[in-house]
Amino acid sequence: MKIHAFIPLATLIARLSIAGTFISAALPKIKAPTEFAVSIEGFELIHSPLVHWVALLLPWLELIIGIGLIVPMIRKVSGALIAGLLILFIGLHASAWQRGLDISCGCFGTDAEPTTNYSLLILRNLLLLAATCFVLFRDLKANRATSKIAI
Amino acid sequence: MALLIKELTLICVLTLLGASFSIFSGLTQPPWSAPELEAGEIHQVDAEVINPIWVDARPEVDYETAHIEGALSLNDSNWDSQIFDLMGAWLESPQPIVVYCSSASCDTSKQIAERLRMDLPDAEIYSLHGGWQP
Repeated sequence: MKIHAFIPLATLIARLSIAGTFISAALPKIKAPTEFAVSIEGFELIHSPLVHWVALLLPWLELIIGIGLIVPMIRKVSGALIAGLLILFIGLHASAWQRGLDISCGCFGTDAEPTTNYSLLILRNLLLLAATCFVLFRDLKANRATSKIAI
Repeated sequence: MALLIKELTLICVLTLLGASFSIFSGLTQPPWSAPELEAGEIHQVDAEVINPIWVDARPEVDYETAHIEGALSLNDSNWDSQIFDLMGAWLESPQPIVVYCSSASCDTSKQIAERLRMDLPDAEIYSLHGGWQP
């Protein structure tokens, strides 16, 4: 069996994994925005009142684009936003690591990860970013194929 | 391009609807009225005014490197040996107790303050907002 036969399955698995990660990261933060605000403050990059706006909007954005990645109508922009957020998170963690901050990541709410293992966190986000790029590439390829058929 | 803008607009609208749901269902206060301090927290400037008993909740290595003058080290790993020193200090001079760790979200100060409230129910206990750094 050719490897190409597995690509649609791999795309589906990657898509569901990324969506699942973003949805499960968003839900605890939607339930406890104040705790998430404390985690954001820990990065010492933004302060009140901006912190509270980010703590309110970011979890909902994560939830919408997590679901959006499996909804054909909005999956291209959702994928692009997920890639953008992952690059931002990698940058934030690298910056906190470089400054030697002893903080909780807050990625999945405050209870799940009391202390941050930066190398593991950055590696996880890099893997997610690679999977997101793969899904985006597949979506763009599928889009081009559909356009050609339409012509 | 127009299609991408439409997708982005839809995502923004849904995100704003979700955030509105959080505010109107009472999950969170509106950001424009959110208090700067959580319950049980205190700012360092206010803490210095009340001349409290300082409790350093960071690991002992960090405590030995630097700490607020007069602070006692107390964390989960040295609790059994240090709690009596703190109780003694508080009984001798029943001032408010302020627990600190290294940053705004290290969380240890809140956990230690919570644990202390159970062991010293009559004491006035706070965790330091924003943490302390040498």
